[in-house]
Amino acid sequence: MNKTLLVATYEYKHHVAKKRFWLTLLLLPLGFAILILLSMLLSRSSYDFRPIGLVDKADIISLEPDNSAKSTFFNPQIYLHTFPDEAGAKKAVETGEIQGFAVIPEGYLASYQLDYWTNKQPAGEVQSKIIGFISQNLLAAEEADPAILERLSSGNQISLESLDGKTKSDGTGWHKIFVPILIGILNLIVVMYSGGYLLQALVEEKENRTMEILLTSVPPREMMTGKIIGNLSVGLTQIAVWALILFAGLIIFSDRLSFLADIELSGSYLAVSLALLLISFIFTAALMATIGATMTSIQESQSVTGLIVLPMMLPFYFINVFISNPNGVVARLLSYIPLSAPLALSMRMAFTSVPAIEIAFVFALLIGLTVLMIWLASVAFKRGMLQYSQKLSLRSLFKKEANHA
Amino acid sequence: MSTIHVKNISKSFGDTQAVKDVSFEVNPGEIFGLLGPNGSGKTTSIRVILDIYQPDSGSVEILDGPMTDEKLNRVGYLPEERGLYQDVEVNRCLSYLATLKGMSKAQIDKTLPAWLERFDLTEHQKKKNKELSKGMQQKAQLIAALIHDPEIIIIDEPFSALDPVNTQLVKDLLRELRSAGKTIVMSTHQMNQVETLCDRLVLIDYGKVLLEGGLSEIQDQFRTNQVIITTASPLPEKLEGVAKIEPMNGNFRLSPAEGINAQDLLGLLVNQGVRLNTFEVATPSLDEIFIQVVKKG
Repeated sequence: MNKTLLVATYEYKHHVAKKRFWLTLLLLPLGFAILILLSMLLSRSSYDFRPIGLVDKADIISLEPDNSAKSTFFNPQIYLHTFPDEAGAKKAVETGEIQGFAVIPEGYLASYQLDYWTNKQPAGEVQSKIIGFISQNLLAAEEADPAILERLSSGNQISLESLDGKTKSDGTGWHKIFVPILIGILNLIVVMYSGGYLLQALVEEKENRTMEILLTSVPPREMMTGKIIGNLSVGLTQIAVWALILFAGLIIFSDRLSFLADIELSGSYLAVSLALLLISFIFTAALMATIGATMTSIQESQSVTGLIVLPMMLPFYFINVFISNPNGVVARLLSYIPLSAPLALSMRMAFTSVPAIEIAFVFALLIGLTVLMIWLASVAFKRGMLQYSQKLSLRSLFKKEANHA
Repeated sequence: MSTIHVKNISKSFGDTQAVKDVSFEVNPGEIFGLLGPNGSGKTTSIRVILDIYQPDSGSVEILDGPMTDEKLNRVGYLPEERGLYQDVEVNRCLSYLATLKGMSKAQIDKTLPAWLERFDLTEHQKKKNKELSKGMQQKAQLIAALIHDPEIIIIDEPFSALDPVNTQLVKDLLRELRSAGKTIVMSTHQMNQVETLCDRLVLIDYGKVLLEGGLSEIQDQFRTNQVIITTASPLPEKLEGVAKIEPMNGNFRLSPAEGINAQDLLGLLVNQGVRLNTFEVATPSLDEIFIQVVKKG
């Protein structure tokens, strides 16, 4: 009977039963939620969201202010009220009904100067609210298309395209980076958590000599595969739970995250990104296992883990390069390295159309390297696990077995 | 047909020759002693038998052929370097190791309580291994080696960390397993245990076999014509037919003069008026044989 499943099940249950797993699983999203809530509270406490007043002496306001949007804790609104004269508006300020009021003077159309009366420094939103409302009224007087105002306020969008048409980039679509970054962060967390735990477990088994028992019970290949599957499943469980929490969060706070609506996610894009993530997990886990089998202490293995994280972080450092030149040398190179590939290729695909042949090449390369790494891990496992006081060198992994113990 | 047949195995690690042309056979239903000083090549030989290492040359046949994944389930192993998951409860750890040896959950549920009871670990089964004493961990490790009812049992220093009561418990268990037809390979430095348990043995040093055979054959091979006597009265300083008299714990070890055998010596002692309480032909201890053979190299 193949014992891979037995090893995988034990590893999975062993980690899931630990307090550390549940703390990470629940505290991480809780921490994020608290952080977001705190920033909202800070935002609320530092801004005045009371209504503002407007006194029109120039007689240019013909529209009623649109105060239909509902003000909520997560999405507070500053309403605009018109007053017939300054005295009424001042009284409303004194009673705290409004935070301040703007006066459109008689010569406004010549000077374009406004006066704003308040006891506190107004937020930037106050100014844009007043100017937006005046602009609306001026355009309405000219009987202009309301869509023009919308276009004027959102500005222009410039798309870059190379002469051969191969490289395209929309420099203003910053929000497209959201999904690849999410994939990069997930990759990093899972690798650090489950990969790190796999590495630690192997070094511990070596340190406490359990390995000799295991080697006489399970073939090394099955043992290593089982450990990789078990630990990856722990990581994937975490991702699934966090994804559910994130999904719930997106639904609850959809009104605050309106920019996410601009993100277009095709099925093929998601499929490629998730498949890359999975291959990268397996590669990294096998790499961690190889390191775990060759190291002699946990401290030693932790210092090597730092070196693994570095290439995973590289696409984050070159984020501007990915946005401006997603088919450039740097972006391509990082797509071919297993540790950086999930984030790098995903970012490129978000900003440009990567040829299918190149995606297929990256997949073939990563799968090949992953198979090689699993083989290397099982060799390291058998040869290095009984070397209790000596590190196993990389060179010696490829030598004939007879020379090792 | 032997259960384990080690044929001329050699194994080197870099420049160090750990095992050189070692051969021996272990027969079904016997306790076989694998002896040798520290670093003599015993553990390497065991690891080659278990297919953890591939030999540079030579071969091992176990249960009529080379080791296979399936045969791993038919072998129980207590390694020299003890190792159980330290942060895991005793019963959970043993259950997992038993599943890796091919046992079903139902079989484990039926068997494990009896083993824990036998080794007096029932009360401690929910404790983590690291909370157990060394002796208890040793007993738990023995359960891991035996729970799946293996045909071959390979145990390295099974008595280390055990008190006399538990030592006797393990000795009785090993005899019981032998009676049940199990083949046991025991590596130990405790020669008195080998004398009381082993049917046959091999002595290895510097990776080479120095001695192999049945326990009594080997003792006969190293037997001298010395005799051990106890007397009712003190012995005179000199006796006819005796080359040397050595007092030892109330007894005397007598080395006969040249040309005198034990029968002759008995007659001479009686004729000289020595009042004998006991008279026995000295059997060399394994300790003595071990030291003698290892020194000679």
